[in-house]
Amino acid sequence: MAGHDGGSILVFAQFQSAVDEGFWHRLSSLKLNKLGIDDSPIPITGFYAPCSHPQVSNHLTLLAQSLPSELSEQSSAADIIRGNRNRCPIQGILYNTNTIESFHLLDKKSLLNAEAMKIWEDIHIGKAVEDSSLLSRFLLISFADLKKWTFHYWFAFPALVLDPPATLVDLRRASQYFTLDEAESVSAACNEWRNSSLTADVPFFLVSVDPTSHATIKHLKDWETCQSNGEKLLFGFYDPCHLPNNPGWPLRNFLALISVRWNLKSVRFLCYRENRGFADLELSLVGEALITVPQGWRDHQCLPNAVGWEHNKGRQVPRSISLAKSMDPTRLAISAA
Amino acid sequence: MVLSQRIHEAFKGTVERITGPRTVSAFKEKGVLSVTEFVVAGDNLVSKCPTWSWESGEPNKRKPYLPLEKQFLITRNGKRHRCGLALLLLVINLPDQFIHVPCLRRAASVEEEYEAAGGEVLLDSEDNGGWLATHGMPKENKRDDDDDLPSMETLEISQTKPIQSIPTYFGGEEEEDIPDMAEYDEPDNLIEMDPATLQSTYLVAHEPDEDNILRTRTYDVSITYDKYYQTPRVWLTGYDESKMLLRPELVLEDVSQDHAHKTVTIEDHPHLPGKHASVHPCKHGAVMKKIIDVLMSHGVEPEVDKYLFLFLKFVASVIPTIEYDYTMDFDVGSSSNR
Repeated sequence: MAGHDGGSILVFAQFQSAVDEGFWHRLSSLKLNKLGIDDSPIPITGFYAPCSHPQVSNHLTLLAQSLPSELSEQSSAADIIRGNRNRCPIQGILYNTNTIESFHLLDKKSLLNAEAMKIWEDIHIGKAVEDSSLLSRFLLISFADLKKWTFHYWFAFPALVLDPPATLVDLRRASQYFTLDEAESVSAACNEWRNSSLTADVPFFLVSVDPTSHATIKHLKDWETCQSNGEKLLFGFYDPCHLPNNPGWPLRNFLALISVRWNLKSVRFLCYRENRGFADLELSLVGEALITVPQGWRDHQCLPNAVGWEHNKGRQVPRSISLAKSMDPTRLAISAA
Repeated sequence: MVLSQRIHEAFKGTVERITGPRTVSAFKEKGVLSVTEFVVAGDNLVSKCPTWSWESGEPNKRKPYLPLEKQFLITRNGKRHRCGLALLLLVINLPDQFIHVPCLRRAASVEEEYEAAGGEVLLDSEDNGGWLATHGMPKENKRDDDDDLPSMETLEISQTKPIQSIPTYFGGEEEEDIPDMAEYDEPDNLIEMDPATLQSTYLVAHEPDEDNILRTRTYDVSITYDKYYQTPRVWLTGYDESKMLLRPELVLEDVSQDHAHKTVTIEDHPHLPGKHASVHPCKHGAVMKKIIDVLMSHGVEPEVDKYLFLFLKFVASVIPTIEYDYTMDFDVGSSSNR
């Protein structure tokens, strides 16, 4: 690990997006058959999972099911919410414009701030403690050129900016942080959490390790009950990132929550990562971050700065994809018949 | 809801009619699976390899003979090795291998060899106590020290291909009317200055030997049930290193070159929109039968719920560069030498 003498700035690896072809197919048919020129924002659902490979980050995936179905919004909503261990649902919003010009004219700063505001609200009113997936809301802007079957789009993963930034006093492999007994118990507890359909898609949690090295995973709402002495308490989250020196993006809003709700200055966190679907403490990281509470941070009305437009090959620019080959209208007509 | 229940009931009815000893023996006699057996084997794969999940897919493509929520299996974000050496290691380093099915020489040879069903299947029980089922090693392969290396052809092809030639996703360079979004001046000149954002996240993988950058493709691998051939069928959806969809033709670059366009074709996915690359199932039954025969000739009674592990191991020989999870650290059959 790089030397962190007096503590360096905690640097997060950005979320990455991946859009399944089915998403664009369903968006096109929604646009053609239902929405028309209505360009009001559409609630969508993205899916992610902890990193499951030492060399590849996981990403936020959009599938056909991410969009409301054309026929009945009600029944499909139930479908969407049901995630599984490989598909933890996250709420997002889609602004799909009617022209390329209006796509470029969208006020990206305000759109991002509007989503950040929702996260900020949910942190302050405690909703994010009940449903932690609300910490990772995202935003997608797009223009679907249905004449050329080309889609222009740009994701944002709003992150509340700590100012001054959190500093890192320690970051190491989880296997180096825990004792052997603890590591075994933490792995077992995490695997159990991931295997239960009740908790498999709950991406933020508490890890409490008692003096006998026994680990338990708890919901965020049980924070108050984890305050008994002698227990190690870590703030765990499903980390989509695979990098050995950087936690992934979801930790940012988690730190904001921890700071606002529980007023902690020093946070020990667990970047939970898997290999082949099982807890991997070699890949997972344990770190300690120091938070200096920014001015006005405790004030509900004072929205912190937010960042998070996705980088594309290192630059903050939109992406485009052509699906002309697979969306040829005659083929669609045949398959719809 | 009502519809789904009806579908489910129709499914159950079907299941009841087709279960029984007859389908079990079809598994051993022909290497094929009934719908029920497919679900059983899929359940086992999901429980042993949790990166796999069942999905229901497009509602209008649902198959009434499969459970609503178990239409097909998928694992997302499988890693693809750009580097040829890595793909060799992939095949060799599989832990606790019970069976190796090395990279088959060429697609034609799969068909011919399996049709001939001759004595090409060699066994090597000294290999970690496991079996080595191979299919006539290619003569040119003699430069290999290790007999269970897959064909070197794949390696050579990926080495001669320049790493930077990846203008690859849909709407890449061939379709000139796609505007390059990077050319647009962003009206509001959006630049987020934030010291806490890692700046180079698109370098998704790091390897010492490729100028620190391994161009990493990832794959969604799905398994559907092919009713006609009564076998599972594998589909591939590729993403480039910046997670943009790959055209299915480009997926073929990651297929053993012997199989591209022959055993691996591009077709409509039975549960998802669009064209995807798929390993054609016409010989799956014969191949599986062969593998099962080998096991049985050694006194191992293969169990049908292990079918997909054997199947995926075989498929790995067709798509040797794509890494997905089918680790099998338990016995294949009921009476093996554990």
